[in-house]
Amino acid sequence: MAICSAHTTTTSLHSPCTTTVSNAAGFRQRQVIFFTSSSNRRSCGGGGGGRRHHGGARTSCFQVSCSVDKPVVIGLAADSGCGKSTFMRRLTSVFGGAAVPPKGGNPDSNTLISDTTTVICLDDYHSLDRNGRKEYGVTALDPRANNFDLMYEQVKAIKDGQAVEKPIYNHVTGLLDPPELITPPKIFVIEGLHPMFDQRVRDLLDFSIYLDISDEVKFAWKIQRDMAERGHSLESIQASIEARKPDFDAYIDPQKQYADAVIEVLPTQLIPGDNEGKVLRVKLIMKEGVKFFNPVYLFDEGSSISWVPCGRKLTCSYPGIKFAYGPDTYFGKEVSVLEMDGQFDKLDELIYVESHLSNLSTKFYGEVTQQMLKHADFPGSNNGTGLFQTIIGLKIRDLYEQIVAERAGVPAEAAKV
Amino acid sequence: MASTVASLSIPATTFAAAAAGDVLPRRKAAATGRVWFPVARRGGGFAVRSTGPATPSNISDKLSESIKEAEETCADEKGTAECAAAWDNVEEISAAASHARDNLKENSDPLEKYCKENPETDECRIYDN
Repeated sequence: MAICSAHTTTTSLHSPCTTTVSNAAGFRQRQVIFFTSSSNRRSCGGGGGGRRHHGGARTSCFQVSCSVDKPVVIGLAADSGCGKSTFMRRLTSVFGGAAVPPKGGNPDSNTLISDTTTVICLDDYHSLDRNGRKEYGVTALDPRANNFDLMYEQVKAIKDGQAVEKPIYNHVTGLLDPPELITPPKIFVIEGLHPMFDQRVRDLLDFSIYLDISDEVKFAWKIQRDMAERGHSLESIQASIEARKPDFDAYIDPQKQYADAVIEVLPTQLIPGDNEGKVLRVKLIMKEGVKFFNPVYLFDEGSSISWVPCGRKLTCSYPGIKFAYGPDTYFGKEVSVLEMDGQFDKLDELIYVESHLSNLSTKFYGEVTQQMLKHADFPGSNNGTGLFQTIIGLKIRDLYEQIVAERAGVPAEAAKV
Repeated sequence: MASTVASLSIPATTFAAAAAGDVLPRRKAAATGRVWFPVARRGGGFAVRSTGPATPSNISDKLSESIKEAEETCADEKGTAECAAAWDNVEEISAAASHARDNLKENSDPLEKYCKENPETDECRIYDN
């Protein structure tokens, strides 16, 4: 048996690079195949053995000699129930093509794959399953319930262009299922509770985003999500938020200081005393000086601006729309902040706002509006959450293109010497 | 700055009319109207959520069980690690229930699903009267 003998395939991407893979054919296929003989797989250090966690040695048989095709890695952090899934769907849509779960794999897989992008959920790196957490009295927010060593090894391997066998945390059963094969995509997104918690993982990120949902809005969203569920009540929803809050404050919230972009979701200030969470004030906090990321601005870059687009040219319905833009500091760092309060009610409003924002990284006029309308059924499509998520999607696409261009440029330069 | 001033002077309706052709293949007469959100038009915005598919019973049972368990765990003393872990389980299963409902909703209507991917086709056109 040809254990670990080299088997060469060309990558699925359009580059001249080759990937040397020492495993059975089919490794580069998008379908996850678990029926290869275990001896063959273990020869590469990776086993399909279920709940064990494996070290990085599993990928030692892969040799990828290519720099252009190495994925750009994006981190998205947010609490459970704070709109990560919606954000992911908007992102992958901007990158082109719908993201779907791996075909033929575990139906409870948390992974989403599109032509360009693979999104993995970091819950898959839980070291304690539901029973384990109960036994030890730790929440999923607690770092002790997560295997950061494996997270780092696997994200690093993907970033280096190597496939990994990633565990699957099953959110229905609360158990760790047998792993699935993840091959390096063009854009690799890690979303979950702790993408910026461990410094080693954080350093692998080319761009990072934190969704910061205020307590009032979180409560309103969870009521909307859970009230119809049997057994849930206002009391149980509140109790759950309160019980998780100490761990959330200790382990999740501090990550926002590391994010390149923060989307902050707050109750509106347009309706005094409103805390229904239907009308929202949303801030897009963009770090200055991040390579390949040029913050969006309103009218005049670096100035402080307050703007009410509703007036003679544009009529808005109650409670109207208000924008603000300006420089600020966030955890001691220079940032630009764009804020939108209120919601879009008419097409005019959205396109009018888009036409007054600069540095959007759109490919054609009206692209933001087009994306928003394409997914008008997603939550937040008529307010700042949808707008800013879409803008971040465009920014990441731009960042990816710049990174690829730079990488393509470097070998060419080197060849000249 | 010059470009900003220039764009300011163009009437807003021009943008709307220009954009409507690109971004609203399914809605011919919507150029100056309200933003028509596809689902809202067919079922009424948030109402879709509550009248949408019910949570699969296996998840629903797990959820109500976990809530009961959390209430019992926290009955004596709130703020313990066990209490937090129990409510964290409730959150996790609630999120799983919500995802399961979303998946069911997405796959429940074949026409809706087809039209999402192919909004420009004839069978997916919606006409305003």
